[in-house]
Amino acid sequence: MTTPELQERFQTLVDEHKKILYKVCNSYCRNRDDRDDLAQEIIIQLWRSFGKFDERYRFSTWMYRIALNVAISFYRRESTRTRHVISDEEHLLEAIDDTERQPEDIRLLYQFIEGLDPLNKALVLLYLDGNSYQEIADVLGISETNVATKISRLKKTMKQEFSGTRPA
Amino acid sequence: MVEMDDLRKTWAEYDRKLDTNIRLSRQLLMATTLNRVRSPLRRLAFFLGLEVVGWGVIIVALGNFIYEHISMARFAVPAVALDLYSIGMLNSLIRQIALALQIDYGKPIATIQKQIEALRVLRIRTIQWGVLAGFVAWVPFMIVVFKAALGVDIYIVISKVTSGMDIYEAAWLWSNVAFGLALIPLAIWLSKKFGDRIGRFPMIQRFMKDLAGYNLNAAADFLATLSEFEEEKRDN
Repeated sequence: MTTPELQERFQTLVDEHKKILYKVCNSYCRNRDDRDDLAQEIIIQLWRSFGKFDERYRFSTWMYRIALNVAISFYRRESTRTRHVISDEEHLLEAIDDTERQPEDIRLLYQFIEGLDPLNKALVLLYLDGNSYQEIADVLGISETNVATKISRLKKTMKQEFSGTRPA
Repeated sequence: MVEMDDLRKTWAEYDRKLDTNIRLSRQLLMATTLNRVRSPLRRLAFFLGLEVVGWGVIIVALGNFIYEHISMARFAVPAVALDLYSIGMLNSLIRQIALALQIDYGKPIATIQKQIEALRVLRIRTIQWGVLAGFVAWVPFMIVVFKAALGVDIYIVISKVTSGMDIYEAAWLWSNVAFGLALIPLAIWLSKKFGDRIGRFPMIQRFMKDLAGYNLNAAADFLATLSEFEEEKRDN
């Protein structure tokens, strides 16, 4: 595959899976500028690693791994963040339905996710996105039973948190 | 009472809406991929590579100096000390490059985050040891540089200045080594005291936090969190 073809294929795949990018960025960053920077870093890393992508596997699993790995590193980094390409006026990801207009449950969910450590953030995000325990285990690099235990624990925590914020 | 599984359904609806609600700028996506920006780890490996070359040259030069002054302990010993310091730095840099190049973001999160944190720990330790040992290493550095570059025996120069005699003065060497050692706890104390107050200069702040050990503690804590995350602890 030539470079333009590879780029075209890459851009199509990323476009098809842009929701992953959006949800990961929203879960790991509170403000708009950080979200843009993170989205850009994820895209760059995805493009850098695209040559190693094995087509026999699902693109979404591979994209989750890269996006979450970059997001966790981004979240933990203390130094200033460098912008590479995007100016302040342009945004890689545009959402019509912004945070203020999100449904109440979704807003609360993001609030709950925000309170978690970066590893459990990844776990909840993967679970909410409908991935099986096997897929979650595959992305996180832990066992399936471990995933089940953690999900069960998070369900309990979530129940307690939400019972305090919403009427029964 | 809200169950996580109910929220999963709400999330699925939200996910469907996102299909139409979010737009990815193809133009910016293309600009990002065309820009071929080096990944931070590749960039790190590149700069570490340059440092490796620098330390390699220093080690070779010191080896040559040791060979030429092998019979003069007062020059050979400081040069050996400097050589050991340089070899230590080179070793750490090579290990950092090897770790940086191993990191593949497409691998599972627990694996990659552990590798990234191991790299961070190594980088912080190198900075700590490099700077703190540097407080002592500057004495042999002066001795070797003066002799190699200018042909000057600094022991005799110091002796002439302090006592007016043309003799070999070892006390100067030992007092400066002791002074350098005394500076180490002072540097750590200053980093701890002022590391947090230099918010306007993030690079210096990070350096001081590295020196004070704060960043090392944070890395160790995250490694512990990762290990805990990997462990299977069953609920009753």
